[in-house]
Amino acid sequence: MSVNGQSAPGPKESTTPATPGAVTAAASPSAGSPAAGAAEPTGRTAPRLRRAVIVGGNRIPFARTGGAYTKSSNQDMLTAALDGLIARFGLQDERIGEVAAGAVLKHSRDFNLTREAVLGSALSAETPAYDLQQACATGLETVLGLANKIKLGQIDSAIAGGVDSASDAPIAVSEGLREVLLDLNRAKTLPQRLQVLSRLRPKDLAPDAPNTGEPRTGLSMGEHQALTTAQWKITREAQDELAFNSHRNLAAAYDAGFFDDLLTPYRGLTRDSNLRADTSLEKLATLKPVFGKNLGSAATMTAGNSTPLTDGASTVLLAAEDWADAHDLPKLATVVDGEAAAVDFVHGKDGLLMAPAFAVPRLLARNGLTLDDIDFFEIHEAFAGTVLSTLAAWEDEEFGRTRLGLDGAFGSIDRSRLNVNGSSLAAGHPFAATGGRIVASLAKMLHARGHVDGRPARGLISICAAGGQGVVAILEAL
Amino acid sequence: MTLSQPVILGEMPSLSKLYVNAAATAARRRVLGTQAGDGLPAARHEVRGVKASVENLTAYQHLIGETASDVLPAGFIHALTFPLAMSVMNRDDFPLPLLGMIHLENKVVQSAPLRFTEALDVQAWAENLRGHRAGTQLDLVAEVRRAGEDAVSWRGVSSYLAKGVFLPGIDKPTAASAAADFSAPDPTALWQLGVDTGRAYAAVSGDFNPIHLSVLSAKALGLRRSIAHGMYLASRALADVGAAKGDAFSWDVAFEAPVFLPARVALDISTGQDSDGAWRRSDYVAWNSRSGRKHFSGSVAAL
Repeated sequence: MSVNGQSAPGPKESTTPATPGAVTAAASPSAGSPAAGAAEPTGRTAPRLRRAVIVGGNRIPFARTGGAYTKSSNQDMLTAALDGLIARFGLQDERIGEVAAGAVLKHSRDFNLTREAVLGSALSAETPAYDLQQACATGLETVLGLANKIKLGQIDSAIAGGVDSASDAPIAVSEGLREVLLDLNRAKTLPQRLQVLSRLRPKDLAPDAPNTGEPRTGLSMGEHQALTTAQWKITREAQDELAFNSHRNLAAAYDAGFFDDLLTPYRGLTRDSNLRADTSLEKLATLKPVFGKNLGSAATMTAGNSTPLTDGASTVLLAAEDWADAHDLPKLATVVDGEAAAVDFVHGKDGLLMAPAFAVPRLLARNGLTLDDIDFFEIHEAFAGTVLSTLAAWEDEEFGRTRLGLDGAFGSIDRSRLNVNGSSLAAGHPFAATGGRIVASLAKMLHARGHVDGRPARGLISICAAGGQGVVAILEAL
Repeated sequence: MTLSQPVILGEMPSLSKLYVNAAATAARRRVLGTQAGDGLPAARHEVRGVKASVENLTAYQHLIGETASDVLPAGFIHALTFPLAMSVMNRDDFPLPLLGMIHLENKVVQSAPLRFTEALDVQAWAENLRGHRAGTQLDLVAEVRRAGEDAVSWRGVSSYLAKGVFLPGIDKPTAASAAADFSAPDPTALWQLGVDTGRAYAAVSGDFNPIHLSVLSAKALGLRRSIAHGMYLASRALADVGAAKGDAFSWDVAFEAPVFLPARVALDISTGQDSDGAWRRSDYVAWNSRSGRKHFSGSVAAL
């Protein structure tokens, strides 16, 4: 596959999906003729829909858990990211069409987290907001949902976002104490209350901390990925190399000033605290495996090629073109299309984090595209093994035929287009904030690239999520 | 064995009274040196119009990880029928000591869904007394019908071993069936079982067998620590199989090494489908995640 996206007809035909049953393949006339589709948004959607554009984004630097944001709540961080966005684009007292954001680790008192952040921000208090929660896909899903509202003409402007704090995680009381407290609330007389209280046992006072286990399997996400990593025979060396590239690319992006207009310092941080600009393959090779130690195959997943628990927040400003023009704001890219998928991971039919391996082929087929038509791949690095397993599945003939319903392998990607400014292994991964980080960065990269072979530069985002889910999206340069 | 008219009990017997009575019987037999006889009692015990408590059902479903529907989980029905089965083993003419019996296997056929709102007729009896290399084994059978109906909706066969008890006239098999070498596959699930697992299941099943309750009570009966209840383990595996099994299915489990608490139990569930992709069966096997020792295995299959 060539670097310039000039793919020869031969390989393109071989990788064009053979419209499997799962794919709703609409007519895609411009699939092979980039010039014809240059000014049109790619996709099958009705022609009357207007475009949703990405104006820009803002996030706070991501901090390793227990670091600079230890005492900062989700609401603190989301408000900080929001206020930075407002300052950057002059949105003080502006009534935005809608704000959507979410957190994965969320206390029940934060039922209106996003609205509360809006009320604490410089936006007009008449800006409505809603919370969304789709595990690690939360951030990208807020972008897709709000972009759809803009496309439909329901709103003209929107802010999408996400936040997570592993440091300030909610801790629940034990089930025993919870039941006693609820029953106590229902008891009417003193004897009834005493009777309820007498049920309390010392062990009921121990708190119930959140854990990272999948509810239906009891396996942590890392252990699930270790199974998938072993299944796809991903080597330790390949994982360490991906992690190394992530740190190298992110460090280079900071040095080049790439994040200057994407990030607002917070609590003394000006860069993501997980970034190790001086890491090396040798250093990564010394780390001991942490996941998959009880499996038959050798354990390959370390703290270096897995994302750490992280705190942080991100936001993205979306708009209809008219609104952006009227406010004299930049238009970096359009949100072309998105797709969600889920896999049956519970009994191991597919790996927990493999849903994007199914979502991307469906999304590209619907838009008449192949992997060769993508100039930037942003595949979220939950673990290096996740990215590499997904790529391995796409390159696998058997997987392509039996699972994707294609004639052969889905295809391979040009690695020089993958996560070119670093990704979660280096930046960290505050679950719901990752989508906003990627969308804002990719929009900026696409805008800078402009056109490729007479068509707008095109980027693909892929984010895996707990519960066997994944959300993917296509953006195009403006 | 000819079947006699059922002995109809007015209500479901109390398990705690049965355990106390069993202990007393054991002591009496030891002091007097009496034996109850060589054959199984022919009597069937029956309770009519049994209804499940919805609070109990909800607590059971939450503990086991079952969907909290109005349908009684197959393992819940086992717990519902268990006191009646125990009452058969508690009869004076039952030849084996009830306390210390080991649950070897359990087979259930759920032919039709039963809801907590329905009145149920429950019958239980003992059959199939036979030799085992380590003692004597038998089956306790329970059947559940909707009140007044002939069709059996749920049938359970529990095989127990009275270890070290050899009755006259019952041959013991000469050779132990060779235990196949077990090599643990990659797990699909991991259970963290705390020390209170036994007590939690006792609370929802009503089976306060001391070997499950605490280290002390288990030690009193000769175990080094308390062990998880077999039907808790099998019921969780059944719940893990999920909704694919539908309303009518068979569910088997064979117990091997006991699960001493606390424990980390690894589980593999593999699914079998027919050519149309429809669910046919799920096979499960569980083992100690550290030692790799097999705890139990079984299957859930479409009828």
